[in-house]
Amino acid sequence: MEPGNLFLLSGIGLFIAGTVLFSIAPGRWLNMLYGLFAAGSVLAGLYSLGLIMPSAQPSPVYVFPVSGFLELAFQGNPLSGYFSLLLSVLGAAVSVYSIGYMKGAEGPRFQGIFYGLFLLSLYAVFFSSNIVAFLVAWEAMSLLSFFLVVSDTRDEEAQAAGITYATMTHIGTAFIIAAFMAGYALTGSLDFQGIRAGLAARPEWVRSLLFVLSFIGFGMKAGIVPLHIWLPRAHPAAPSNVSALMSGVMIKAGLYGMIMMGIGVLGGNVAWWGILALVAGGVSSVMGILYALMARDIKRLLAYSSVENIGIMLLGFGASIMFYSFHLPALAGIALAACLCHAMNHAVFKGMLFMGAGSVMHAVHSKNMEEMGGLLKKMPWTGLFFLVGAVSICALPPFNGFVSEWLTFQSLVLGSQTPAAYSKVISLLGGAALALTGAFAAAAFIKAFGISFLGMPRHERAEHAKEAGFPMTAAMGALALLCLLLGVYPGLLLGLISRIPLGGLSAVSPLSFSLAPVSIAGGFSGFWPAAILSAMLLGFLIVFVLIKTAGASKKTVYADSWDCGIRALTPRMQYTATAFTKPVRVIFKSIYLPRREIRISYRQKPFFAREITYRSDITPFIESYIYRPLLSAVHWTAHKIRHLQSGSLHLYLGYIMITLITLLLIWG
Amino acid sequence: MLKRWIEIFSIIDFIAVGMLLSVIAMNSLKRIESCLKAYIINSSLLALLMVATAIYLSIPHLYLAAFFTIAGKCILIPYFLRKVIRQLKVTHDVEPYISSSLSLAASFAIVTIVYSVLSEGIFVAGLTRTVLKISVSIILISLFVMMTRKKAVTQVMGLLFMENGLFLAGFSLTFGMPTIIELGVLFDMLMGVLILGVFLSQIKKAFVSVDLDKLTSLKG
Repeated sequence: MEPGNLFLLSGIGLFIAGTVLFSIAPGRWLNMLYGLFAAGSVLAGLYSLGLIMPSAQPSPVYVFPVSGFLELAFQGNPLSGYFSLLLSVLGAAVSVYSIGYMKGAEGPRFQGIFYGLFLLSLYAVFFSSNIVAFLVAWEAMSLLSFFLVVSDTRDEEAQAAGITYATMTHIGTAFIIAAFMAGYALTGSLDFQGIRAGLAARPEWVRSLLFVLSFIGFGMKAGIVPLHIWLPRAHPAAPSNVSALMSGVMIKAGLYGMIMMGIGVLGGNVAWWGILALVAGGVSSVMGILYALMARDIKRLLAYSSVENIGIMLLGFGASIMFYSFHLPALAGIALAACLCHAMNHAVFKGMLFMGAGSVMHAVHSKNMEEMGGLLKKMPWTGLFFLVGAVSICALPPFNGFVSEWLTFQSLVLGSQTPAAYSKVISLLGGAALALTGAFAAAAFIKAFGISFLGMPRHERAEHAKEAGFPMTAAMGALALLCLLLGVYPGLLLGLISRIPLGGLSAVSPLSFSLAPVSIAGGFSGFWPAAILSAMLLGFLIVFVLIKTAGASKKTVYADSWDCGIRALTPRMQYTATAFTKPVRVIFKSIYLPRREIRISYRQKPFFAREITYRSDITPFIESYIYRPLLSAVHWTAHKIRHLQSGSLHLYLGYIMITLITLLLIWG
Repeated sequence: MLKRWIEIFSIIDFIAVGMLLSVIAMNSLKRIESCLKAYIINSSLLALLMVATAIYLSIPHLYLAAFFTIAGKCILIPYFLRKVIRQLKVTHDVEPYISSSLSLAASFAIVTIVYSVLSEGIFVAGLTRTVLKISVSIILISLFVMMTRKKAVTQVMGLLFMENGLFLAGFSLTFGMPTIIELGVLFDMLMGVLILGVFLSQIKKAFVSVDLDKLTSLKG
């Protein structure tokens, strides 16, 4: 047997063994079983690496007949290999993290079984090569993640979030099924390759219809605005290890679907598809980060930031399709590489950030950032890794977020090379949106890190916080190292990406990557990550030496910072998360629609107040103005239709009678 | 000898028309016991039709089916239903929503529609040119009966008539199904009536009457 297949089969074997053991192993050892999933992920990751590497023969097809002509077919290709590599990296880290995180968790057996099956179903999504297998795997993924979302607490909000998630994801799946069925009806093939071949000769509007359907369907899972409303509810409600996987990998399954369908199957050569994706990406990234900035719940902040990042990936995806339709394959390759690269980077740092949030929640027993504070001293390692993640997500060198956002930005700026005026304007606007997003992301994560880790403890639980256990910090540490590695040596990842052929679009030849400068042929600029790192280290060293030498004679004074002469600072005097974001709320009040309510009850008017209550909140724009009206319309219609259901048996029999006679009259 | 007579005098059509007439009669009868009698007549005619077919087409196993039809539909089911009616102390009136003359008019309309619509295609195939049309009419008239009667007992009767119509339809297309299937259908019917009897007494217990009007209160 080929070594690659051996990796795959033994990896799957480990997953199955893990899920089986979860149902029979003694309770005390349950959390150790996550180690099996970690090992399985590593093996599957090796197989995925093999898929990306060029080889003479195509990878084997695994076919499982179901009934009649329906069969499940699985076959790896370089694109699916890349996404399953992404899954393996994060899956292995999260599984190690779960060893510590799930110690003493409630309902560990079910969580473990669902967790293992969820990972397997994600692999199945990436590897499936026909419609049937894809839909089965996709549905399994959605349902298992739904179970995981509602598994953590008995709290009603989590249940409601689960219901929202299940509803939205099924609407999305309906769109995907519609697209696939249309593809099958037009070509008579269940296989993605067959559909691709059959659709090539079809007119453009047919393919456009399929693209729009699958864009909506996959966009629902990816969480693009305005289809995102389930994401900031469901992701925070899940246990943190699952949130990491959902935000890190599952939303990329939506992205994978878009790339696979949009470029792989439909050819990706119609300009307005790209524009659609660009607009959706721009709106998602700006709206996502604006709401992230306002979130008080740390996991909700991270979830909104996932919406933002998926928007950034869509910018790359859209730009790629747009360039390709203008016959600029080199630029298209760069844009797609930026998109894929950001997918991997986002998985790494967002997974790490969610794990960090999970550790913090374990220590503080709250998701609310206003009840944290001063955690850096209690949890130094978690704090450090969270900081690395925050710096990466803000796209600052020398970490990995910088590389992919830089590439995305470059490809959008290169949009000025397209012939049409509208595409120039749109891509530059996309670049502007990306720049705006970057600034807000920095603000949001300064808030996330500053409010929860710096300052004084805002709650007594934060005072008694303890550092997370070894497996948890180790998993985060590994991902933090990966952030640094991919940031300093982007050639590692971009080299892999450049091997991914996609239909007519072969990726990124004009990029050169190594420790040497990254530059784009025909572009305006390049950058040299290793040099940036060296410069930063050098600067740090100079400051350090200056302090040690020039400042050596000065006496060090220890005092409270920023106490303005007040001798006793209390936690209540600190900047709060809400106060920190006030300027943004003021500037963007047309989007946030902030509401403020002050209620004063007097003992004696007007000077002696008994009680003052102050509430401030923002209006969720999309929910209030799109979903609420939609929902009430549906309710109204349902209420009207309900009159048909009178409860009278005779009337029901009458319906049957009328139907029968009508049918007789029509077809008799 | 008999075969020729059956062919010359269109015996099978006559029997089928007799079944149709008994259903129409049931549609306008006012007493539950009379309805039950109409059902016995209807079922006996069905059995007779089987015997005639058995002679005409020389299919001996149809005699067996006819025997079981008589045993089940003319004796057992009516006996059980009568017992249920007595036990539940149902009043004798059928209590329809519409007058019996209007019901007759509706039966006429249904038969007219069926005869005018089903005059070609597969509907003239089968045993003779009329049996299938008659069976569809029987089914629709029984449905109409179920629709316009208040009491649950009459609903059951409508269901029984409908089943006879369905049986006739299947019979006319297949010239006698395998015995085992016919027996199975009969047995199902018997069980169905038993279960419906139990349901009736439960409805009576829960709602004090067997008027199906009261079921509206179940709606949430």
